[in-house]
Amino acid sequence: MTRDDAKSVLERALSVVGEGEGEVALGGGTSHLTRFANNEVTQNVSERRFVLSMRVVLGKRTGRASGNDLSRAGAERLARAATAAARLQPEIPDLLPLPDPQSYRTVDADDEPTGRLGPEERAREVARAVDRCLRAGVTAAGIYETGRGTIGEYGELGTLAIANSRGLFAYHVGTDAAFRISALDGAASGWAARESYRAADIDGEALAARAAEKAVRSRDPVSWDPGRYTVVLEPAAVADLLTDMSWISLGALPVQEGRSFLSGRIGQRVVGENITLRDDSYHPLHRGSPFDGEGMPTQPTTIIDRGVAKTPVYDRQTAAKDGRQSTGHGLPAPNTVGPLARHLVLEGGSGPAEALLQGIDRGLWITRVWYTNVIDPKTVTLTGMTRDGLFAIENGKITRAVRNFRFNQSVVQMLNEVEAMSAPELAGGVVCPGLRVRNFQMSSVTEF
Amino acid sequence: MKGLAQLALDTAVARGAEFADVRFLESEREDLQVKDGQVGGVDRSETRGIGVRVLHGGAWGYAGTDVLTREGAETCAAHAVALARASATVRREPVVLAPEPPRRASWSSDCAIDPFSVSLEKKLDLLFRVDEALRGVKGVSIAEGFLTFVRKRQLFLSSEGSEIDQTTTRSGGGYSATAISEGEVQKRSFPGNDGQHQTLGFEFIESVPWVENAARVGEEAVALLRADPCPAGEADIILEGSQLALQIHESVGHPSELDRVLGMEANYAGTSFLTLDRLGTLQFGSAIVNLVADATLPHGLSTFGFDDEGVEAQRWHIVRDGLFSGYLTSRELARRVGDARSRGCVRSDGWHHIPMIRMVNLSLVPGKGSLDDLLADTDRGIYMETNRSWSIDQLRYNFQFKTEIAWEIRKGRRVRMLRNPTYQGITTRFWNSCDFICGPEAWAPWGVTNCGKGQPGQVADMTHGAAPARFRGVRVGVGYDD
Repeated sequence: MTRDDAKSVLERALSVVGEGEGEVALGGGTSHLTRFANNEVTQNVSERRFVLSMRVVLGKRTGRASGNDLSRAGAERLARAATAAARLQPEIPDLLPLPDPQSYRTVDADDEPTGRLGPEERAREVARAVDRCLRAGVTAAGIYETGRGTIGEYGELGTLAIANSRGLFAYHVGTDAAFRISALDGAASGWAARESYRAADIDGEALAARAAEKAVRSRDPVSWDPGRYTVVLEPAAVADLLTDMSWISLGALPVQEGRSFLSGRIGQRVVGENITLRDDSYHPLHRGSPFDGEGMPTQPTTIIDRGVAKTPVYDRQTAAKDGRQSTGHGLPAPNTVGPLARHLVLEGGSGPAEALLQGIDRGLWITRVWYTNVIDPKTVTLTGMTRDGLFAIENGKITRAVRNFRFNQSVVQMLNEVEAMSAPELAGGVVCPGLRVRNFQMSSVTEF
Repeated sequence: MKGLAQLALDTAVARGAEFADVRFLESEREDLQVKDGQVGGVDRSETRGIGVRVLHGGAWGYAGTDVLTREGAETCAAHAVALARASATVRREPVVLAPEPPRRASWSSDCAIDPFSVSLEKKLDLLFRVDEALRGVKGVSIAEGFLTFVRKRQLFLSSEGSEIDQTTTRSGGGYSATAISEGEVQKRSFPGNDGQHQTLGFEFIESVPWVENAARVGEEAVALLRADPCPAGEADIILEGSQLALQIHESVGHPSELDRVLGMEANYAGTSFLTLDRLGTLQFGSAIVNLVADATLPHGLSTFGFDDEGVEAQRWHIVRDGLFSGYLTSRELARRVGDARSRGCVRSDGWHHIPMIRMVNLSLVPGKGSLDDLLADTDRGIYMETNRSWSIDQLRYNFQFKTEIAWEIRKGRRVRMLRNPTYQGITTRFWNSCDFICGPEAWAPWGVTNCGKGQPGQVADMTHGAAPARFRGVRVGVGYDD
């Protein structure tokens, strides 16, 4: 949907809001995904989906309704539902008025060839990857997906465009491409992935080669005892841990409610001095939206600066409570989740992750982690499994496969134990380096 | 509704599809939240669209659209065929569907009181009364409550002649109290950590003692701040029903999905230790363990007349007398385990996503005795209640759970509250250590509404019934023991 089309839909929707003020937003786009397993394509799917969301504000009352009928009649139905919802509920004392018009940066994230990539091209890329795995004697499974708009991993819709009765209007569209591949040999497996806003950056065959090499290396794992190890975490593993930390800690709401490790510690050193963590949707590897779910401009925000807690990210509601300005990290208001840092950047070093092996006498190489979940929110202690390539590091070299571990590890403590970092890359939606970390807690061994 | 669906089906067949089915789906949803004395959100949503699934050249294509015009339906069907053609270029074996007779049927879940007809004031009044009771407990830092209502109507047409109209209404809600101290964030939820949901109308909401439990929930959250930590080591544990429901979900349900077993989820959710050679041979659990998949379970979240391939709802054992006995299957994969027909486990979370194997309701068959009987039978142990955290490896062996609260059991009695209870195990060793399952009087169905699977990710709901059960010699206190 073009900027003009989006504006037209939103203006039409705003025009049917009768009583009070209105905020209207569009989310959606097109998404295509070719899925393969056992060396053949098993699913090939495509969707086109847009949702119009309307919020009506009557003083201190507000209601929201959404639907995928973008016509005038559809908007009128939403207006009736949202107005009725607003009328029938008690006042929200903390409810803020709608924001005034804002200025936004332009983000170049709409790659035309990616937007029109077809199923034949995806199939060819998949075929090259499958052939590479077959040559290595392993089985390929994975996906090649492309899209344009704001359809998320689980079908959730971000904000493509937003407008309100006060004249605010914002629009941003981006493309995305991702190739993820697992190579399997019985219970031994390897994995590699690449994501970008440009399909031209995807090289399925190279990813297949990397995954296949790991799968072959993962054969016949030895069992090591649980305990604390020096580990090298590839960027994909780091990204998973930081994402969980962000959800429960880096927004202003958990900080204000006392649930975050940052609560009461702004201005204090909370992690190692070599750690600087930012949220920056303008980073060239992210190219995210320049505005949030409230229509506020997204500001690059340094959350931790050389180990010192600087600030969480804010939406309008939490900012008002702290006497601050929104940093543009809000979800559609009102909500009970609070603002979220979704374009994390962990500053790193230089060189490849393999350089982090140096100086490790006995440790573990972690390709990625799986099924992480929170054990203790205040220390960001997570449990999870290693997956798709856990290797022994002995005398500075990867020597053999190790049976996968379950870990129970505080991410805050981990960021106090970082010895070295590789060059950052985009992995799992986070720009981050690989890390060499001391004292990473492995709790139990699994069967493979 | 039918006209566009039929047009999409005819277009797919005219373009050479060997098989096609079309789902026209319309759904509505209402979400209400109250947090700390204020409305957190009142959202109404609706969506309509068409999904077209085709086989061409022995390969799948799927397209979904919300352009509900003749041109939109035709374009969508043509696109699905084009996708299948591309799939066929990287296909080694053609997809062959297990036979299924064409069905012409309609089915609806029970719904005595339409939840969308109940006033917003009445719903918010309930949430505010709960909120007031929670915040009336000194020490409660955060009080949150929600109600959710979903209705889906789906028309299914297939090129084999099926025409099935189904309507499902789901009602649910829940709340929690959080207490926070310098080093602790403790939470208690009611009825379960995801609330409680059933395929019923508003009568379900009216049947639950929401307000009556709020003060207890708040008090337990506050008491947990000063409770002793769960000891680390080995212990006999008793799991309350809602926690056991999630244990069933993660360690029985997912590994018995046949698409996982056959490697089709390998890149994301993983595979399974329940390989084909283990069907009928693996002693999955002790002899008292019986686990039944049941798409006919009254008021279950995956209770239906027919699945999204038009296969009639069924009931069968996944584990019978401790022996691994069955899989969750589809028309595409049923023959791989020697079945002539699908078990009817294929569902999608909307018109925009392709149907795939999803867990149907899966429950632990009750044994005998009440929870009090079980506690009285336990000399030393730990009784754990309400899930707080879950994790399991990609072959579904090694799991670790945390519950909100636990009590130490000595000589059949609860002697002290324990905070931060965790336990960890290996699936088959754990289920083989089960030596007591409570009876029907302690059995309850627990709805799960957030089950993620697939690429693109889909969210499904299902129900797991369970009564409290005891497991011997389980590692506890994990994550806090170093």
